[in-house]
Amino acid sequence: MEHMGIEPGRIQFSWVSSAESTKFVQVVKEVTETVKALGPNTHFVKHEAKVA
Amino acid sequence: MLEYTDKIREIAARLLKEGTVEMVIGFRKGTVPMMNEPCFVTDAGDVDRLIWDGNCGVNLANYLMDRKEKIGIVAKGCDARNIVTHIVENKIDRDQLFIIGVPCTGMIDRRKVAAAVDGEILEVSEDGHNVSVRGQGFEKVLNRQEVLQQNCSLCIHRNPVISDELVAEEVPEQQGVDRYADVRRIEAMDPEEKWNFFDDLLSECIRCYACRNACPLCYCPTCFVDESRPQWVGKSQDPIDVRTFHFLRAYHCAGRCTDCGACERACPVGINMRVFTKKLEKDCLEKFGWEAGLTTDARPPLDTFRPDDPDDFIK
Amino acid sequence: MKVILIEKAQWEAGVEKARDSYRLFGPVSQGPFHQFRPLAAGQLPDLDYSNTRMSAKELVYPQSEKMFDYTLDKSQPDHHLLKEPQKDYSPRAVLGIRPCDADAFGLVQRNFDTPDYKDPYWIRAREAITLVGYACSAPCSTCFCTSAGSGPFSESGLDVLLVADGDNFLARVITERGEKFMAAAGWDAAAGDDADARIEALRAEAESRIASHIETDNLRSQDTLSLHGAAFWEEVSFACINCGTCTYLCPTCWCFDIQDENRGKQGMRIRNWDSCMFPLFTLHGSGHNPRGKKVQRVRQRFMHKLKYYVDKYEDGIQCVGCGRCVQHCPVNIDIRRVCELMNSYGPSQDACAVAS
Repeated sequence: MEHMGIEPGRIQFSWVSSAESTKFVQVVKEVTETVKALGPNTHFVKHEAKVA
Repeated sequence: MLEYTDKIREIAARLLKEGTVEMVIGFRKGTVPMMNEPCFVTDAGDVDRLIWDGNCGVNLANYLMDRKEKIGIVAKGCDARNIVTHIVENKIDRDQLFIIGVPCTGMIDRRKVAAAVDGEILEVSEDGHNVSVRGQGFEKVLNRQEVLQQNCSLCIHRNPVISDELVAEEVPEQQGVDRYADVRRIEAMDPEEKWNFFDDLLSECIRCYACRNACPLCYCPTCFVDESRPQWVGKSQDPIDVRTFHFLRAYHCAGRCTDCGACERACPVGINMRVFTKKLEKDCLEKFGWEAGLTTDARPPLDTFRPDDPDDFIK
Repeated sequence: MKVILIEKAQWEAGVEKARDSYRLFGPVSQGPFHQFRPLAAGQLPDLDYSNTRMSAKELVYPQSEKMFDYTLDKSQPDHHLLKEPQKDYSPRAVLGIRPCDADAFGLVQRNFDTPDYKDPYWIRAREAITLVGYACSAPCSTCFCTSAGSGPFSESGLDVLLVADGDNFLARVITERGEKFMAAAGWDAAAGDDADARIEALRAEAESRIASHIETDNLRSQDTLSLHGAAFWEEVSFACINCGTCTYLCPTCWCFDIQDENRGKQGMRIRNWDSCMFPLFTLHGSGHNPRGKKVQRVRQRFMHKLKYYVDKYEDGIQCVGCGRCVQHCPVNIDIRRVCELMNSYGPSQDACAVAS
């Protein structure tokens, strides 16, 4: 996806087990911050089909 | 490579006469310059229809889908690797096939030839080194190496990895080939440039699906673009939907694509969609050490789990 | 029909003047091929081309077109109403359409403008457009227009026909719409008395250069069921990969699919080109597909073009010989070869089922 122009940081992966609630909170906080810093996503957004 | 024609005919006639196969799939001479038409022969008396030259770029492995007969198939290096993938994916049995292996010196890119001359091309002929082009009021000789399809100029598996009989001695494999220069060029762009690059690339796409249908890997009974419940991708010319079709198709070919170039060859508006699949091919090679279709004994990386699979992207 | 002389010096000025009253379109180079595009201010159509990659049908019949919008949101005053989209049907003109493509509009009109059903989108777009054609003095080796009911200088469907004569154009004004366009461009210099003769001489020369011909004289009299059951279809259809290249590039193909795309409570209905080559084309809601096999679809396409249309309209084949499908089919299935097989078919031919 990054190859096609999505800014690095928008797509993130993490292993979190249901027993790791602290880690979950942390991951959510970090991802939210990182993505908010990138600003609203403008790529790959389709509101309605752009047709004639 | 032109000498292969006689050998292909000889092998085909023998296979049909002896009943080893019920049909031989190969090429017949096309009706326009630089094109040949895939065809089949069921009678030994008809094998003179079969030919071989540098315009046999269509991947014949595409025609093996759901066939029940015993088939003789003419396969160059990339085609043979696709046959391996089909066997691994249970689309055809090894026993059904007699693979007539063709050590390949590359296919001519008719767009490169057209761009190198001025005017309509009427006839193209070739020998090992040159491609002679005759057209409306001109004649020109081009260097064959310079007008090969890009995937052929970068090919490192010209000899079939699987075959029952080769039509000629193996050809030397190309050495020191940098297969991913194009990919690295894109990787070096910033996100906005990347986005625009792919926008430009796909601007002419007419959703004809020639790329998908020419690809031997695309054999789903219902392609994801045709699903309607739920509908994953729109069917219109909306640019996001067009882009989604291409990259999602590339994902489905990840770890399976042999870079045969059939997709680019088929495209009626000349889109170089191999830039999608090359990136995934590079990733598979670098992350999993995997090249598609080399052996029927290994399972592809995307359907096996190994403890040492790369996972540094997971935090 | 009068003939107007457009000298080279007047061409550019005339195009710009026409821009005051028309939205202009013309062939524009996209690198290795030409496509029809809107002409920007100061941009001339690039007439140094044999034909565009996509046919002119997209100017009147876009590949994806909004039919109407709707909202189901009861708080909106226009909820549950079909809303006609704002479209621009102001006068437009195409400069440099080839006669085969213009001819094709006449064939396609039979589908979209019938006594019983009139397609408002197609008809309005067709009526808004003036077709200024550009005669072919150097047809391609794959052009077979003269035996497909058209020709390099064919005037059918055109409003004006431009014929290159040295550095100038001879413009034959064919319709009233054409007259209006010529007036808007300020091209009014009558050509000399020999203009007609000159055009006819150039036409004869162009037609003599057509190297590719098909025979269609037996198609009407062939028995439909026998043709349908012919053994050559397996061989003809083998290479086909069922993509949409032939149908999408063809100026006479007209099939479409209609889809609704919704987002929350809003949506729009879109018409998209469809292809009889696609497996889903005849898929019924029940799940049955009468043309689920490739050979059935390939056979249907050629039967439609070369037999069903011939029988229904008794005015020749549904093909103008532009040659796009011949040049761009990824596997080189050639309609000229199939036409020969169909035209010369006799039941005894099934004895040697595979034609060479």
